[in-house]
Amino acid sequence: MAQQISSTKEDTPSRPLTAWFDVRKRRVGSWAFALNRLTGLGLVLYLFLHLAVLSLLVQGEEAWDQFVALAKNPLFLFLDVVLIFGLLFHALNGIRVALVGMGIGIKSQRSMFWILAAIGAILLVISAFLVFTK
Amino acid sequence: MTSATITREKKISRAATLWITQVVSGLLLIVILALHMISHHFVVEGGLRDYQQVLAYVQNPLVFVLELVFIVTATAHALIGVRAIILDIGLSEGAKRTLNWILAVIGVITLIYGAWLAIALQQL
Repeated sequence: MAQQISSTKEDTPSRPLTAWFDVRKRRVGSWAFALNRLTGLGLVLYLFLHLAVLSLLVQGEEAWDQFVALAKNPLFLFLDVVLIFGLLFHALNGIRVALVGMGIGIKSQRSMFWILAAIGAILLVISAFLVFTK
Repeated sequence: MTSATITREKKISRAATLWITQVVSGLLLIVILALHMISHHFVVEGGLRDYQQVLAYVQNPLVFVLELVFIVTATAHALIGVRAIILDIGLSEGAKRTLNWILAVIGVITLIYGAWLAIALQQL
């Protein structure tokens, strides 16, 4: 029987906000649920940070180009890869959750999760290569 | 039909609307962010555009429209998602209304800031 891995009520812990974060001894669906939320929160923080950084453009060429020089150091590049992991996981898991929510692929959602995870891993490796070589 | 039933139906309708908004905005974001990552980072020598390159890029009318669509969809998707996580605490009806207002204000400020930024970059 296919394991339930969608972000359904069944996967939502009974002690919300504290329990969903604790995924010990839980199924892959709970891990996906928790990681989807963590990546989502991280992306929200990044969105507002990104919007703030873009205001450097209004301050002029020197301000922006100084930021670009800083953003090319290896620590920033590593953080770019972490960001891309968050984007890929959230996007691909979001596609699965949306499909299951619409009643599509409910019985094959476990294999769908692993197929999307494999696609995500390939895209992450390609992206990391481009980040560090461009 | 009792008022309790009407209220419950309204809540279900709102939840459905928010869910559909999440799905549609999420799909749009996947397309826009893929374009953004490729055009801003992966095809640019050095991985990041310098000042003149950024201005030339964002002053393209199509990119300007895409940036506006991005700010609307990203803000909506982000705030609806944050709301869903916070609601898991189990808020009272009054606290939910306060939360909705706070998130709406954050959303409006973000949209105004994003629109200002996009327009300001056209004038540099």
